[in-house]
Order: sequence, then C-alpha cells, then structure tokens
Amino acid sequence: MDLVQLAERIADIEARAGADLKAVAAIDALRGLESNVLGKQGSLGLLIASVKQFPPDQRGQVGKLLNEGKTRIKGLLDARMAELQTAAHTDNADDAAAFDPTLPGVAAAMGSVHPVTAVQWEVERLFERLGFTVEAGPEMETEYHNFEALNIPATHPARDMQDTFWLTNGMVLRTHTSPVQHRAMKKFGAPLRVIAPGRCFRYETIDASHENTFHQIEGLVIDRDIGLPHLIAMAKTLLAEVMKREVELRVRPGYFPFVEPGIEIDMNCRICGGAGCPTCKQSGWVEILPAGMVHPNVLRAGGIDPEQWSGFAFGLGLTRLAMMKYGIRDIRVLNSGDLRPIVAPARLGGPIVWPE
Amino acid sequence: MLISLNWIRDFVELPPDLDPRALAERFTRTTAEVDDVRRIEVRACGLIAARVTKVAPRGSAPDPRLQQVTLEVGLGKTVETASIAPDLRVGRIVVYAPIGSSVAALGDIVATTVAGRSSIGLILPGEAIGVEKAFQEAIFLSDEFQPGQPIPAELFDDWVIEVDNKSITNRPDLWGHYGIAREIAAIVHRPLIPYPVVAINELRDTKLPEVPIKITDPRACRRYTGLMVEGVPTQPAPLWMQLRLGHVGQRPISGLVDLTNYIMLDLGQPMHAFDEAMVDRIEVDWAKDGERFKTLDGVERTLTRGDLMIQSRGKSVALAGVMGGMQSEVSEATTSLLLESANFDPATVRKTAHKLGLRSEASARFEKSLDPTHTVLGIQRFIHLARSMYPRLKLTSRLSDGFPSPCPPVTVSVNPLHVSRTIGRDVPLDEARRLLQPIGFELTASDTHWTVGVPSFRATGDCSIEADIVEEIARLIGYDAIAPTMPRVSVRSFAPNSLHELEQSALRYFTTAHGFNEVQGYIWYDAAWLRRLAADPGPCVELANPAAEGAHQLRRTLLPGLLDAVTKNRFHFPALSLVELGSVFEKGDRQDGEFRNLGLVLAQRGKRDEDELYARVKAAVTAWTWQQFTRSVSFSATTSAQDRPWEHPHRTAAMTIDGAPAGRMSVIDVSLRRTMDEHLAAWSIAWAEVRLTGLEGLETLTEPLAAIPSFPLVELDFSILVPKTTRYAEVVANLRHFEHPLLKMVRFVTSYEGEAIPRDRRSLTFRTVLGEDSRTLTDADSDAFRNGFERHLKSYGYGLRVS
Ligand SMILES: [Zn+2]
Repeated sequence: MDLVQLAERIADIEARAGADLKAVAAIDALRGLESNVLGKQGSLGLLIASVKQFPPDQRGQVGKLLNEGKTRIKGLLDARMAELQTAAHTDNADDAAAFDPTLPGVAAAMGSVHPVTAVQWEVERLFERLGFTVEAGPEMETEYHNFEALNIPATHPARDMQDTFWLTNGMVLRTHTSPVQHRAMKKFGAPLRVIAPGRCFRYETIDASHENTFHQIEGLVIDRDIGLPHLIAMAKTLLAEVMKREVELRVRPGYFPFVEPGIEIDMNCRICGGAGCPTCKQSGWVEILPAGMVHPNVLRAGGIDPEQWSGFAFGLGLTRLAMMKYGIRDIRVLNSGDLRPIVAPARLGGPIVWPE
Repeated sequence: MLISLNWIRDFVELPPDLDPRALAERFTRTTAEVDDVRRIEVRACGLIAARVTKVAPRGSAPDPRLQQVTLEVGLGKTVETASIAPDLRVGRIVVYAPIGSSVAALGDIVATTVAGRSSIGLILPGEAIGVEKAFQEAIFLSDEFQPGQPIPAELFDDWVIEVDNKSITNRPDLWGHYGIAREIAAIVHRPLIPYPVVAINELRDTKLPEVPIKITDPRACRRYTGLMVEGVPTQPAPLWMQLRLGHVGQRPISGLVDLTNYIMLDLGQPMHAFDEAMVDRIEVDWAKDGERFKTLDGVERTLTRGDLMIQSRGKSVALAGVMGGMQSEVSEATTSLLLESANFDPATVRKTAHKLGLRSEASARFEKSLDPTHTVLGIQRFIHLARSMYPRLKLTSRLSDGFPSPCPPVTVSVNPLHVSRTIGRDVPLDEARRLLQPIGFELTASDTHWTVGVPSFRATGDCSIEADIVEEIARLIGYDAIAPTMPRVSVRSFAPNSLHELEQSALRYFTTAHGFNEVQGYIWYDAAWLRRLAADPGPCVELANPAAEGAHQLRRTLLPGLLDAVTKNRFHFPALSLVELGSVFEKGDRQDGEFRNLGLVLAQRGKRDEDELYARVKAAVTAWTWQQFTRSVSFSATTSAQDRPWEHPHRTAAMTIDGAPAGRMSVIDVSLRRTMDEHLAAWSIAWAEVRLTGLEGLETLTEPLAAIPSFPLVELDFSILVPKTTRYAEVVANLRHFEHPLLKMVRFVTSYEGEAIPRDRRSLTFRTVLGEDSRTLTDADSDAFRNGFERHLKSYGYGLRVS
C-alpha cells in the first residue's frame, strides 16, 4: 500500500460512515457505529495500526493523513450525535420533568470567620476606602503605652476605672486599643489616618453583657483643623455602613484622660429595638464609640505639635457592634469556641429553620 | 450616685410638672450618664406619729423577734400592736399606720391578729416608706412630731436619678446634690439658689479658743478645718432628712451621723465628728510602720508610713479620709464635738483605702480631688442645719483652719478660633459667656483671646487647659447640635503593617480556600484542662490578678484551647475544621515575648482517618505558603515535646520555611483523645500550628507565568517500590540527581501499600513530563528517557512496579 492507496482507503471509510450515519436513529446505535469505525478494531482503527508497514521516512505523512481523516470522521459523528441528543430531549417529556434545578447542590465544606472578624474586615475595608492605614499593637503592653503615653499618670483615678489585668513581669494586658495611637504617631507622624483593630482585656466579672476579653477598633485622624463635626460624621458613616441602615446616634459627654473634649457616641439598641434589655442596660442605647479630640498631652507624647495639628480618636466597641449586627444576646458565646451560632446561624429558639 | 429630686428642688426651682425622665435624658446628654430613673411612690395616707410606752417580748413562736408594743397615739389613747423592729425602746417616737390608713407597699391597714393576739395598726418598717436600707427597722422621729400628729404625706414621695459613678470620676463637684443642682439649673435655664449656710463671721468669734491644728505634710493634707460645738443631744434627725438619705440609699443611723452624711451628699464634702472628750486638738501625720489601729468597724488594722493619720496628743484617732477610730467615736454620752472638715491628697487616700479594703463614701470623694474651699463651706452648712435640729447648740471654739498652701485661682487662656475649630461654628463671646456663667466660669475677653476664670470646685478636677473650656462650651451647646461634616484631609501613603496583613490574609485563605471555621478563645490557659490533658504548661508569662483560679498562665500555644473547642463541638458536628488566630506568650531571659500564631485542627468521626486528615492539614499549609510567599514549606519528623501531649510520640513534624522554623504539626494519639472525651476515642484529629511572627518579613517571590508549550508534552508514570522505612523526601532527593534534556517536570501521584506489592514495601508513583520546545517527541525519545530513568532508579536500589 502506498500513500495514494492509503488516501483512497481513508476517503472510502469516510464516505461509508457518512452514509451509515443517516440511517442511524438512536444514540446507542451511533455509539456502535463510532466504535466500528474509530475503535481499535474499527475500519479506520486498523488502518492506523498498519502505519508501521510504511518506511520510516513516510511515516510522518502517513500519520498526517490518518489524523486528518480521523478528525473529519469524528466531526461527522459528533454532529449527528448532537442532532440525536437534541431530538431525544425534545421528544422525551419524562426527562424534562425529571430535571429539577431546585434540588440542592452537593454540600461543599463551608468555612466561616468569627462574627467579630467579619465586622472587623468590614470596618477595615470601609476605612481603607477612606484612606486610612491599618495598624496593630501587642496585647501585652507596657504601662507606659497603656497609661502614661495616654495622659493617665500613675496617680490618676482613671487607673482604677480601667480594671486592669496586671502581669507579674510588670506589664499589663492592654485595657484598650488606644496604645496604638501612640505607636502610630511615633511610626508615621502627622498627618495621620489610622485604625487599629485588636483584642483588649478588662478585669471584669463575665455575664451575658460583660466580657473580660473583647475587641475594639481604635481610630485616629490627625490633620489641620480637625474638629468634632468630623468625628461625628465619621462615626455616622461607620455605623450606618456596618449596620446596613441609618442609625440613630446619641452623643454625650464622656470622660477619657486621652481626649478633651471626650464624648460617648451611643447607637440605638437593635437587640430590643429601644425597649430596654440587658445588652443596653435597659436604656435603649448602646455605648458603641467612646471618642474625643486627642488631648494635647497625647499629641505631644507622640511627637506631634498640638499648635500645628489637631485630631480625633475613637475606640469602637467591635464586639458590641458584632452583637448588634448579628443580634447576639449573650456575649459569652463569642469566646466559647462553640461553632453552632457561627456556622449555623440558625435562630435556635426562634421560628423553625427550613433548608434553603 | 443617687440623686433625690426633692433635694435638688431645694436649690433649683423646677416646674412641678417636670418630667424627671426627660430631665435625666438631658442630663445624660449634657453632663454625665444617668443609669436609672425611678419613682419612690409611698402613697401614704393617714400616717401619724406614735410614742412607745411599753415593749414586751412575745416569746418564740412564730418569730422570736416578735414583740407586743404599746403605743401612745395622741389624746391619751394607746393601742397595742405587734412588731419585729429592733430598738423599740420606751419613749421613742415611730411612724405609725393606724387602722384606716394606707401605704402602697402594704395596702389598707386593717385590724389583724398576729400569733393569736389582736394587733392594731402597724409600726411602719423603713422599706414601707421608701427607706429600703432600713429593712424591717422602724423609722424613729425626733420631737418635731408629737404622738397623734399627722405626718405630711408629701414628704415620702420622690424621684431618684442614678448617675453612673464612672462618668463623674473627673467631676468632684458632682459628688453632692448642690453640684448636680448647678448643672440642672444650667440645663433648664433656671437660677441656682445660693447655698444656704451661716455667715462665716458667725464662726469667727475671737473670744472663743482656736482648735490647735498641726499639718506635717501639706501635700498629703491640703486643708484641715475644725470647729468645736456642744449641745448636740442624741436624737434622730428630722424625718425629711432621714427620708432623703433613705431615698439615696443611706440607712438613717442617728441624728449626728445622719447630719454629717447629709452634708457629704449635699456638698460632696465628707465630715467627721470626734468626741471632744477624746479629741481636742489635731495633728495630721503619717502612721508609723507597723502601727496597729482599730477602726470604727471594730477591726484592728496594721498600718505603714504612707497611711495618713489624724492624731490628737500623739494618739491616732482616725485614718485620714478613710475611716474614724473606734475610741474617738461619738457615743450617746457625747455632749460636745470636734468637727472635722478636711481636704486630703487623693492618691494617699486611695492607696490606703485600697490596701485596707476600706472604700467608703468619704474616701471615694477624696479620691476625686475635692475643692479645698469646701472644708469651710461644709462647716458653715453644718451649723446652718444643726441650728434647726439642736436649739441648744453652742460653739465652743472659733473656726480653726489649717491651710498651709492655698492654691491660686485657675485661669485659662482660650483662643476663640480653637473653639470654632472644635465645634464647627463660630461661638460669639456673648454666647460663650451665657453658657459658662451658670456653671461658675467667668469669661473676660481681650482682642484675640478669652480669659476664663475656673471656679474652685472645677479647678481640682478636669479644668486646666484650653481644651477643657472648649469641652464646657461644646457640651452646653449640646453635642447633638453639632452638624456632622467629613474632614478635609491630606493624602499620604503609609508603610503597611506586614504582620497584620499576613495574619488577615492567612485567616481569609484558610477560611475560604480550605473551609476552616474560625474560633476565638481566651489567651490564658485553663489549668484544670491542662491537668486533664496531662500537659505541663512550662514557663509562662503570668497574670498577677487572674480572672479565675487556674487562669493565671498566658498561653504558649493555641492547641489546648483548640482541643477544648473540639471537645465542645463534637456533639454537634460529625467533622470539624477549626482555625484560630491569636497571641501566644513566651518568657524571655530579659524580656517576655508576644507572638502571633495560627492554629489549624481537622477532626472527624472515624478512627482510621488520621493519615487523611494529616495529609489535608499538610496540603492546606503547603498551599498557603505557596500562595502567600511562593515558597514551599519543609516537613521533617521530630521528637514530640514531652510537655505537649498533643504532639504524637512518633507522628510529629517540624515545619520550616527557607530553613527557619515555622511551626509544628501532628495527630492526636488515641489515649489523649480518650482523656479529652471518651467519645473522641472513635475520632481522628490532626493539627498544625504556624508561627506567623517572623514570616511577615519574607519577601514574596513573583514567578514569571509559564509559556504554553508549542509542541505536545508526553507523560510517563513510574511506580517505585521502596522499603517502608525509606522517607519520601529521601527518594525525591535521589531522583533530583537525574538530569535529562527532555525532562520538564516530575509530579508525585500517589503512595500505595497493600495487595500486589510486598508487605515491607511502599509504592511511590511519580509522573514525569517530557517535552522539547522545537519538535514533537517520538517513541524513540520516550524509550530513551525511560531507559535512562530506570537505570537511575536502579542505581539507588529502587525496584519498579510493573502494572
Ligand atoms: Zn436593648
């Protein structure tokens, strides 16, 4: 057999397959035809196996001819298969009825972040859009950073309020994220826009609305001519974006040695809708954002001239915000390691939960 | 701090229909947080005074305290009633509810029988007339009421506003009703009534002797004012005073004690009365180390230098600002008094009160740094009130005042531009003055600056700089009146916090790409849990004041907490993928260290899934390091740490990245699983813990993307039989020595043990990928490669598995 004969044989097989195709009306029969032609023992299959009969210098061309033929025949077969399949589907009313697109997919393992992390990321993204950098500080802090640098000298009564966890090495578990204010001022100088999420610790008895371990996000803006209207605008934006709704705020005086004026920004309680509950201490308001204008002593300690710059700072109660956002009534669930409320946020004790 | 609205009305004329809740809300928004507002509603009707004429115990049944009391109820009439109130002595006058009268707590009073004897009416216990602290005790009246005299009902009803103590730590002026009244007057725009006191000149009668006062350390005792009086008989305070004290949570005790308490709650100035027979001169000095002193609660206490004492003729008579002494206490035999009205250093008082666990209403106030002018004002107020209580009151000394270093008045210079910068609008001078005057600040103006005189009662607290004055103006304008505006800011770039970014991206990666669920736990170990796991915590950073017993050691690893979470969750889930990101702490030679760790745990029901879980944790960590740093992580077998039972004795690996330690990984042995929870014996658990601190410095390598090959690649699989003791890493290291121009890549496919291969062997399948950039490969190419590669394998003694 030479190359010409080979080409003819291929053309033959192709022509016969084309003719046979038209007679085939069932998918199974078409699969049979395919195997009769292209299978190892099929008409073209055998021809392919015979390639070794050709001298080595012709094998390249032989292979080319065979491959091209195979591709053409496969094309014919595939086209007919598509026709048959379409026909089968339109004809087969049972198949259409059996296709249920509403059946759930096969369950995939779903990861999840802690509710506090979820809110933290939301707040980080929000502030990044506003041109803030994100900082962090250690949980084990020096007295200097936790107190002195924040205008809280050793004799200050505020040290009593802080209910501090002391370590035997003389350091403390930070009672707020505010030490990062000082660290950021030292690192970047002014102007400055920074937030710092992190864990804080207070020596406190744990109950449904008090934890000794909780998260805050510190915020600090230092620039020319910063004032209270800016602080309040920022708080409103922040809370409305996280809560995905307009929030009602109550701004009132608050005392923190590292701000002057110091304010407390409260948000209307979502747990009880304002009627009063343990989370809001029955007041309908939740303390969410202690804040104020940065005290000149704190700016000075951070190496920033209070004559040139002014700023505001806040310490967002991240844990409390997560509780508000997700309607968590008992703060203790957050550090318990219990996955149930987090992985399956089913309102246990609420209305029946049906599968999606 | 509880505030009685009746009391406030002494100082501000409030509209009768004022809504106390609305007032409290305005107070919260302007001054300090109100925690609670409650009505005291006694609804008294027909109560009278009655005198005890006979008291007979009723024996034991049904209540051993039960007494039969005969009362004189006016017009010579007597009644008999049952009572369990203590201290019912003949001659005392009590609040009595006759038949036909009523109070809200008890309803209508009708004739009853108590333990078989008829009882006419009721001696009212404190709680029934709004004095909660006098539970079941009778309220005794002074001779202002005669038997049978009706008691005006309006005395009993009141509103109580509870101000959060934490919100007034910087406001010494708010620790008394007069200071609160000043704020309320400013809030409701009504005048503040001048503080009712006797004129100072009345106390300066030079014919009377001076009380000798000696102050050793003027920093510890800023001022000591004393006065001696006589004609103070033992008798109850007026009913209105007892009720007001009762409404703000004080139990009425005796006329004199009630009066000093009243002044403390009125002005915020603590006062103390000594029996003049014991104390007739004052020395304020430090205690001697080891000095023993019996305070008036009857406890003997050991003192140190640093505790400030009031002494008289060398003898200690009181712990300054904290508590009086047992010996000098006023008793029923006392006829003349030495009044103390002093000002002590806040830090000194706080230290002593803390150390001795003696925090009193007085010490709480001294800690806030009181106004030194109040010592004198307090005594003026005392005499004013005492004259109405004790008609025979007589001064026996002139007002004596130890005031070694009076402080000059405080003035603050304020730039009006800074006021408008902070508040967001111009505040004209007139407005500022109108706002500040009611709370006692004086404002004068020059061309560019205001000069603000700070009143003495604010000067010791929080008012010393410009920002403090701005705060006063801002809060009186009202923070709600400030219009929110976004700031104009300067744009700049910030160097990122690489560790924080690494942490968050790792957490995001494991929770999204590998389906881990994040948990958070406490940063201290639970000693009981560690004991149960038979784990030795090793040298830990420790808390001086742990939250609970056994919670004093800061964690060095996240594992105990994660294993606790596994134990908790195993009831509810058939499989768990937990991740925790958090701080761990290490004791250091010179300095203790804090590190950020990431812990991963896979657990599932099924005893034989350990290898699968281990492989999955490893795959997750490997994929992460590649995705994060374009670097691989190396795993090597290591000996498990003795003190960490969660490290399996012979299935623990150490991880390194670029040769530096990055963490550890292991599976949990069945014996530990059983100890954790017997059900976990039927589970498999694998874990990894990565130390992120240190990795943040790793430069992320950027690999060029591979070009798509122009000619087809050929894949050839090789299954290599090796002894089970041979490590995969060793095999790969040997394979690496093979070089061939067509070899592009070698991939690991699978490891197999079992049927069809010898028992002591393991089959490792690798896939080689061959290619040539300029042509399609031929069979000859494949054959040549196969021969060469097989020779290479054989040179290491590896057999080939023929499939
Ligand atoms: Zn609520």
